Amino acid sequence: MPSVSDSLTRPADPAAPVASPAAAPDGRQRLGRLLSGAALLALAVAVLSFPAWAPNPYVLSAGVVVLNYAVLSTSWNFVGGFTGYISLGHGALAGLGGYATGLLVVRAGLPSFVALAVAGLLVAAFAVPVGYAALRVRGASFVIVSIALVLILLLVFQSWASVTGGSRGLVVPRPFPDLLRPEHHRVFYYLFAVLLGVALLVWWLIDRSRFGLGLKAIREDEDKAESLGTPTFGYKLVVFVVSAGFTGLAGGLYALWFGDLDPVFQFSILTGAYLVLMALLGGVRHLFGPVVGALVVGVALEYFKVEFGDTQLHLVATGVLLALVVLFMPDGVLPALGGLRDRYLRPAQASIREVTAAELWARRAAESGSTSTVTGPAPTDPAGSGPAASGGVERATADPDAPEHVAAEPGAPTTEPEAR
Amino acid sequence: MASELELVDIQAGYGRAAPVLRGLSVSVEAGTIVCLVGPNGAGKSTVLKVASGLLKPRSGRILVRGVDVTGQGPQQMLASGVAHVLQGHSVFREMTVAENVLLGGYTLRDRSVLAKRVEFVKEVFPVVADRWNSLAGLLSGGQQKQVEFARSLMVNPRVVLLDEPSMGLDPKATATVFDQVVRMRDAGTAVLLVEQNARRALETADVGCVLDLGRVHLSGPASDLLADPRLGELYLGGRPTVPQPPARR
Repeated sequence: MPSVSDSLTRPADPAAPVASPAAAPDGRQRLGRLLSGAALLALAVAVLSFPAWAPNPYVLSAGVVVLNYAVLSTSWNFVGGFTGYISLGHGALAGLGGYATGLLVVRAGLPSFVALAVAGLLVAAFAVPVGYAALRVRGASFVIVSIALVLILLLVFQSWASVTGGSRGLVVPRPFPDLLRPEHHRVFYYLFAVLLGVALLVWWLIDRSRFGLGLKAIREDEDKAESLGTPTFGYKLVVFVVSAGFTGLAGGLYALWFGDLDPVFQFSILTGAYLVLMALLGGVRHLFGPVVGALVVGVALEYFKVEFGDTQLHLVATGVLLALVVLFMPDGVLPALGGLRDRYLRPAQASIREVTAAELWARRAAESGSTSTVTGPAPTDPAGSGPAASGGVERATADPDAPEHVAAEPGAPTTEPEAR
Repeated sequence: MASELELVDIQAGYGRAAPVLRGLSVSVEAGTIVCLVGPNGAGKSTVLKVASGLLKPRSGRILVRGVDVTGQGPQQMLASGVAHVLQGHSVFREMTVAENVLLGGYTLRDRSVLAKRVEFVKEVFPVVADRWNSLAGLLSGGQQKQVEFARSLMVNPRVVLLDEPSMGLDPKATATVFDQVVRMRDAGTAVLLVEQNARRALETADVGCVLDLGRVHLSGPASDLLADPRLGELYLGGRPTVPQPPARR
């Protein structure tokens, strides 16, 4: 829910209970919200305390990998979730962030975390021309352009061996050479957690903003959004650049942690596909969708690799997982869970049967009693008392803005011929 | 005083095809409903597309309050106060009613103006207030239509172009929608209405225009038009009484 609408609902609150008695504050509804909050808290506690109860360094390192996926998938969701543009190229942006960080440390001698920050900015800058070209096409064409990005970068980084190390790879020196391996994992686990927190915060802020509203309109119907005055192209480009920046940072942090980069793995379409799978599995329209998806898919990927790593069976298992999600939870895990919660804990939705405007006015009048400015009979009376007082004042101040409309109000409800 | 919206001698068509509008002129005054009726293919929807800037006319002029705005695009027309409610359902189905309405006011930068407009449309369209947080796609057809009206009224337009607002609605929902059109008119908005349901539309409208073959064949006070036998002749399957202009290539 964008903040604009939140702030706008407030003055109208007196009308809200009037309008929908079915949605009146209800114990079960509060319980539902409580459950969601508790689930969120449990997730946060589990994530943050994981290093404390991880049984061995390998499991901890798997946790780092999963968190890395969570950051990448959340970053992807800036584009995929808001605008509906499915990019398979985000793996390449992460790879670019990794190589930029590594090269800045190795070739330019920058301190590790300065290099990381610069790399994030570089990837964001790189995303400007890429987005400028790619975001002109929609749907399948955009997907193909994003795949092309991966292949081009793979070729460049493989062939340009004098700078990138080519197929021999690039060794990135560790930022904390004194730390033992488990400690190293632990530090990076928390670094990834911080980055994830920042990415989630920015996503949440955009979700609530006017900018986010415009982006979601693009997702629904780009032409219509444009006709309503949304600067669609500029918005897409901005959010793509933000997404690329976070992706680059995640890739760079991975490079500092893992310490060894190989073009084949850094510029892999498979990475992009995993990110899409995670976001879709969790639910792209939900803040925590990609995180949940990353937990499920990331853990599954690691497990499958341990169990069936010698064969190609782990890829088959991943495919089966994707198929199951698409079949049974096409909107993702979180919307499915939310649906379950609503089914048991929320009053049934009101019927969509037509309620005439006259009926709603009558209901509003009946419930707001003396403060009947809304119904029109006495629009000039600011009607101070009662629960709708603030609404009445709001109306009174609104009057000068649209005098012609308000002047027409008094007679209007009576022009509702019920007989029709 | 100049009309809110005036189309003068418009020629318009799609691509290289023969023109759909052949010298059409119509004007809409503030606080009146002008209704265009006519058989399928008469060019009714095309008139609205030209008026909202979606389709550039080949010749002729478009005036908004006496100012020539010929050739401007949809966003500029919206800025001049001309809002177009498209045929069929055009709400953002996967977004809430609130988001739909706020998108209608997307060009309003001032928060307080936006808030006032929201209050206004909530008042005129109780269903908008009632279902504020519902997904628009879950509303019935008539309710969705009202959300569309509310969305178009967010920018406080001087002229509203309505393309078949009753399409696909049951009689009761149609009645509600027409009531809302009357309320827009009473609020001082100029309404240019296109309707298949000619009788119903003419009962609601102040001025009626019967279109055929891309021009206005009959026009006058809607009540007179309703009583005019030529309406039935033109609209309900009769032959046009005016010789057809030669088809142009």
